[in-house]
Amino acid sequence: MEFEAIIGLEIHVEMKTKSKMFSSGPVSFGEDPNTRVNPVDMAFPGTMPTVNKQAVINAIRVSNALHMDIDDTVIFERKNYFYSDLPKGYQITQQFRPIGSNGYLTIETSNGPKKIEIERLHMEEDTCKQLHSWDFSLLDYNRAGIPLIEIVSRPDMRNGEEAAKYVEKIRSIVTFLDVSDGKMEEGSLRCDVNISLREVGATKFGTKVEIKNLNSLNNIQKAIDFEISRQSIILEFGGQIEQETRRFDEGSKETVLMRVKTDAVDYKYFTESNIAPIKLSKEFIEDAIKTSPELAETKLERYKSFGLNDYDSNLLIADHDISNYYDQGVKSGCSPKLLANWIIGDVQSVLNRDCISIKEFKITPENLGKLVLLIESNKVSNKQGRDIFAEMVNTNEDPEAVMNKLGISQVSDEDELRKVIIEILDVNEQSIIDYKNGKGRAIGFIVGQVMKKTQGKANPALANKIILEEIGRR
Amino acid sequence: MKKVTKEVLKSNAEKLMFEMSDEDLDLLVNEFGVIQEQMSLIGEIEGVDETTPMTFPFDVTSTFLREDVASEPLDRELALRNAKDVVDGQIRLPKVVK
Repeated sequence: MEFEAIIGLEIHVEMKTKSKMFSSGPVSFGEDPNTRVNPVDMAFPGTMPTVNKQAVINAIRVSNALHMDIDDTVIFERKNYFYSDLPKGYQITQQFRPIGSNGYLTIETSNGPKKIEIERLHMEEDTCKQLHSWDFSLLDYNRAGIPLIEIVSRPDMRNGEEAAKYVEKIRSIVTFLDVSDGKMEEGSLRCDVNISLREVGATKFGTKVEIKNLNSLNNIQKAIDFEISRQSIILEFGGQIEQETRRFDEGSKETVLMRVKTDAVDYKYFTESNIAPIKLSKEFIEDAIKTSPELAETKLERYKSFGLNDYDSNLLIADHDISNYYDQGVKSGCSPKLLANWIIGDVQSVLNRDCISIKEFKITPENLGKLVLLIESNKVSNKQGRDIFAEMVNTNEDPEAVMNKLGISQVSDEDELRKVIIEILDVNEQSIIDYKNGKGRAIGFIVGQVMKKTQGKANPALANKIILEEIGRR
Repeated sequence: MKKVTKEVLKSNAEKLMFEMSDEDLDLLVNEFGVIQEQMSLIGEIEGVDETTPMTFPFDVTSTFLREDVASEPLDRELALRNAKDVVDGQIRLPKVVK
């Protein structure tokens, strides 16, 4: 028997707003437990939720990027369940009227482009973080109420690669739109997979298994590929798939059973009566879209228009922070191509060497741009630029100041350089004869002498040109 | 409408992990009986099934959205004052998941 997998994904994206979805409680990560909560987050009696404007703007922007219909009325429902991660006893979510619906995105797979349809995008609030020990659980409400968007795909994916590409694309969209930092390993982008198998040609879906909490693209692909082979073996031997929730075990690279789903949970959804329906004006929606940050694809086109090749452009946009750094640097007016070379080469090697991110890198994009301008205008050579860079890496000093401090400057004055070259040629007759007899390397010796005399400050390209001119005259 | 019987209540209490005495069950069955009887009266109104449920007393919409400005959080001690068991600034509960 040959089977095909039917895969749908639910992605939760934690927004990086300043305040929470329904309260002005601060949003920040890595703080001491329960130090980022306010009375609404703790569901103290009498508190009332208010909707975060930026969260709505973010949801509109992502919906637009996913080609969705945007609902101009924002309505929330209560999802009722009794569990300690919810102080209110319900989660405020959008069950019946998601802000975004009927969208799609196109992914690039090894078999070419594929369109994945997206059913819905809705806003909701995150729950509190629970730390489970062997016989007790600890609750930290800092996360409770952080704005989330949930993006639900249609079951359009067929293998692990497609699912991983889909998540990668969603992550790129939410990070480039500045909606989220999209860090899967830290839980700001969480992915649940629904997967079932059916015989090729069949129209009825098989029994669905859910895989929860996949924390990397790699694990999504591995978990799905494992699950496809696990379910195939069961079906091949005439067994039945249980409706269950599984998780991916990093160590064994297998999915393991968490719980068997018995009867469906009834969340008894009803309208959140503390938030009256909010009407979004056409202008508000249009403005949210118009002022939206640039998506990776748009940036890519812009970078190519700078003369960057595909490879370099993709390297820059692979990291949202690096592409932002690049964009800032370009504003200095330097050559975009030369700046890209510096970032991909010298900057990246410092980041690798020191194991730091671009955000921790000392040289500001403005100063790196200035350094590139110094090189472009022949005030310093590439090699001298590197010496200045090495100094700036520790201090972020202005490159011109470093140039003066180190006594670095490039002799680009043609008359001055010609004078030095004539002097050198006068005492190196043999090299001229050698060159004229076809020994091209003799020129290297002369250049070396020029560099020695100018203490490495001669502009090498200019020196080369003058040397050839002067030899021609003799 | 599903009738609320002793069995229904017992099953729900079990799901919510607490025990109920026979006395409690009798009391609740009785109370639910009264409520359900009243609800069934509403059910007799003609066309009630076709009516959209109302959540708000008036059919109004708002345009208010809160600006994304963070306020000072609660002092931790104050926030956790009602918690019976606090360890390292976190509320400690019996574990209820496997």
